Amino acid sequence: MLKKINKFEYFAPSTLAEVISLLAEYKGKAKLYAGGTDVLVQMKQRKITPEYIIDIKKIPELNGITYSPEGELTIGALVTHGQFAISKNVPEKFTMLKEASLAVGSVQTRNRGTIVGNICTSSPAADTPPALLALDAGLKLVSSTGERTVKINDFFTGPFKNILKDTEIITEILIPGLPENSGGVYLWHSKITEEDETLVGVGIVLTVDNLENRVCTNLRIGLGSVAPTPMRAVKAEDFLKGKIVDEETIKQTAEIAANESLPRSRAEYRKEMVKVQTKRALSQALKRIER
Amino acid sequence: MKKIPIKFTINGQQREALVQPNDLLINLLRDELYLTGTKYGCGIGECGACTVFLDDELVLACLILAVTVDGKEITTIEGLARGKELHPMQISFLKNAAVQCGFCTPGMIMTAISLMKENPDPSEEEIREYMRGNICRCTGYTQIIKAIKEYAHSMKG
Ligand code: FES
Ligand code: FES
Repeated sequence: MLKKINKFEYFAPSTLAEVISLLAEYKGKAKLYAGGTDVLVQMKQRKITPEYIIDIKKIPELNGITYSPEGELTIGALVTHGQFAISKNVPEKFTMLKEASLAVGSVQTRNRGTIVGNICTSSPAADTPPALLALDAGLKLVSSTGERTVKINDFFTGPFKNILKDTEIITEILIPGLPENSGGVYLWHSKITEEDETLVGVGIVLTVDNLENRVCTNLRIGLGSVAPTPMRAVKAEDFLKGKIVDEETIKQTAEIAANESLPRSRAEYRKEMVKVQTKRALSQALKRIER
Repeated sequence: MKKIPIKFTINGQQREALVQPNDLLINLLRDELYLTGTKYGCGIGECGACTVFLDDELVLACLILAVTVDGKEITTIEGLARGKELHPMQISFLKNAAVQCGFCTPGMIMTAISLMKENPDPSEEEIREYMRGNICRCTGYTQIIKAIKEYAHSMKG
């Protein structure tokens, strides 16, 4: 691999206002830099050759994990996978996102790489998106002309592609509070190579009416690595809603999820893994509600 | 392109340097400071040979822009020994024949030390999981795991 990366001009602004004005000025020629774990790799591979690098690490307002009295969790753009995984500000009901953060790369890359960066790269194999899909996360996109909040479900458009404009920055992830009797789980299965890329990732948030009846009132299933983008298994979700969650319905839900996944390589194996992991994740989610 | 002045602490010593925006930390360490203990392997974050501490956090020197270490503290493998006395983790690696060609060793030792700080008494599984980002082409890992275990054991004393 090349030792050098292309030449560029470097900015390290201290306010968000400066960032969005730089983005507006340089449009597609600038790249945001936080942890660098994705951006520098893409530069080394000459997949991107930005003329301007905007280092956002010095902007305090992009830091922090906050939990509001309304039960909403906000994660700033600079929060790394490592920081999130050990954060005390994250209530137990969001443990699944910690599980997904720990599935990313190695200690070294988790210490630098940010969850928002992971989303921006939009790899179909990324670990946090399936969990964030299950959590119905929103993303706050800010540019010099205004801001918008989009659901992560509407964000990805293809492998390494998304709706983010080159004048926009994702400033935070917003995770809505979970209703009572909800449980979430993230399970992943990796191929053992030096990249340790996730082969199948399954994120689940299950809600039941109460612990006696166990009727599914809501379900979101996020799948990673089994389609051109991280995806929701909507058919499987719809199937279980309104039904009693038991061994049989869990099995059927997992089969439907496997059938609606769209893996390109090693499709048969991956579909089988979706089935196995979805089944496991659903029973574990139920156990977490009971706890 | 204009060079940028930076100040940092490396292995306990204050230093200054002039860097290009596109210099990586690994370039600064090896080519400017001649600290060649830190190795350059894959260059894209997959092998761990370039592992160092940046403000007490375990990071990859191949994936960090040198300008961003301004004001920070870096520890490399050269910063572990006290005079002629090796760090106990280095000794444990030597004693257990956990070093063959040695290319992965500096990175392995940095990661092993970080593990000990976070989890002083890890299981074999926890060691393997933590060391997942450090690749060795020679040893087959068995002796490396043993060296780390033995170190942990000796620290419990
Ligand atoms: S050289 Fe940095 S991880 Fe391989
Ligand atoms: S000893 Fe040769 S790569 Fe590990």
